[in-house]
Amino acid sequence: MKLQKCCKYLCVVVCALLSTSAVAQNNQALAPPAVISAADKTTIQTFEKQVKEYVDLRNKVKENAPKLSKDSTPEQIHAYRTALEQSLRSARAGAKRGELFRPETADYIRRTLKIEFQGKDRQQLRETIFETETQGVVLRVNHPYAQTAEFSEMPATLLAKLPQLPKEVRYRFVGRNMLLVDRESNVIIDYMPEALP
Amino acid sequence: MRRIHTRNLLLALVISATLFIPASAQRLINTDVKNSPVKLTLPVKDGSVRFAAIGDTGSGSSAQREVGTTMAQYHAVFPFEFVLMMGDNMYGGEAPKDFEKKFSGPYKALLDYKVKFYASLGNHDQALQTNYTNFNMNGKEYYRFKKGNVAFYALNSNYMDKKQVAWLESELAKDTSEWKVCFFHHPPYSSAKSHGSDSQLREVVEPIFIKYGVNVVLTGHDHVYERIKPQKGIYYFVSGAGGKLRAGDIKDASPITEKSYDRDLHFMLFEVSGDQMYFQAISRTGQTIDSGIIARAKKREG
Repeated sequence: MKLQKCCKYLCVVVCALLSTSAVAQNNQALAPPAVISAADKTTIQTFEKQVKEYVDLRNKVKENAPKLSKDSTPEQIHAYRTALEQSLRSARAGAKRGELFRPETADYIRRTLKIEFQGKDRQQLRETIFETETQGVVLRVNHPYAQTAEFSEMPATLLAKLPQLPKEVRYRFVGRNMLLVDRESNVIIDYMPEALP
Repeated sequence: MRRIHTRNLLLALVISATLFIPASAQRLINTDVKNSPVKLTLPVKDGSVRFAAIGDTGSGSSAQREVGTTMAQYHAVFPFEFVLMMGDNMYGGEAPKDFEKKFSGPYKALLDYKVKFYASLGNHDQALQTNYTNFNMNGKEYYRFKKGNVAFYALNSNYMDKKQVAWLESELAKDTSEWKVCFFHHPPYSSAKSHGSDSQLREVVEPIFIKYGVNVVLTGHDHVYERIKPQKGIYYFVSGAGGKLRAGDIKDASPITEKSYDRDLHFMLFEVSGDQMYFQAISRTGQTIDSGIIARAKKREG
């Protein structure tokens, strides 16, 4: 009877430990880089501020697009996307590469990606990103990502290490290049070449 | 009890009758699709939660339409209420005509019967699909809904950022449903040569699934059917050949495969009744390629 009780307690303790270790493993996978220098912190803050400015602008020009409900028809979605794309492109006419991915931001991101690609999952990461068929995507700021091309999966472990983005903006990879893309219109906001090692 | 359309009444009666005939004596019933046998292995219990699942559908091909037709035939004998979509709902363009060609056309019969589709996004899907009325995503890339004693979680595995992970964890933590089913595009486990297991994604979501007692995970991406041997108590399915097929893509003698099929398109049917989940995987032509029962594991302690 006593032995049975002991076993029961042992089981509960083992389960608790296993569960804790699983969550710890999860947290580790999503943890930000261990040490961020003061200079890098400033770089990240500047980048996030610029992204926020972009979002403010896009939300303003979004007012020119027809309203999109949560139960829209394909025609309504098409009209919204087209209007949003056109409004964004004219609002950012003359936008150039490197305005958001400034040299110090690009440097930080390249270093972050390089560290990630040194890990044990390097091969898997490469396969995940490079298997994507992105033919037809023209790397050009303020132009839309080709609708016929697929999106590379953004590995969760990588996303956790990169500066966080608001829901309106996405990171994408096209080959070794990293893009910032507007989520709804797919307009390329900026891109940095040879981001991946 | 769902009302059966008169057009299909006779067909339903004939097929239902065959369900009570021993398997050995059962004859295959030919229906609208040439050589399409409808043979249900599910029990059709009163009050059960019934649904279908499809992945990687949006090719707009004639084969996809044939899968839609076969699904409608099975719906006549197994009136499922809704369909889960595991992403890649539309390949290529997404102009209004594409929605018709790649979705509402192939599944017209089911839509006419008011069957609801719940979509998740794949790597070919544009974000604004979340606002398409027939995908019932309510403008969200990840969401939860509940049917009977089953909670369903649609995830966006293409962009599993911190926000989504936090949302998933907080929703699951307060979820008291008996069954928890997650569906999304990229497979944490897969024996297909083309993509295979997504270990990056697995590293992040699997500990959460285990911690909060997710029972079943449905995915696509690889254009095959595969039932994975239970991994850490979770049942994983790859069902990514609803509209595209990679014939012969399953690795031989994969240690994680319980059952696989890579010779034709397919869809799946599920029925949850109490502590049991019945499943049936069915080919484009109506052949059963896999079936079985999943018993719900008791909630893990700790």
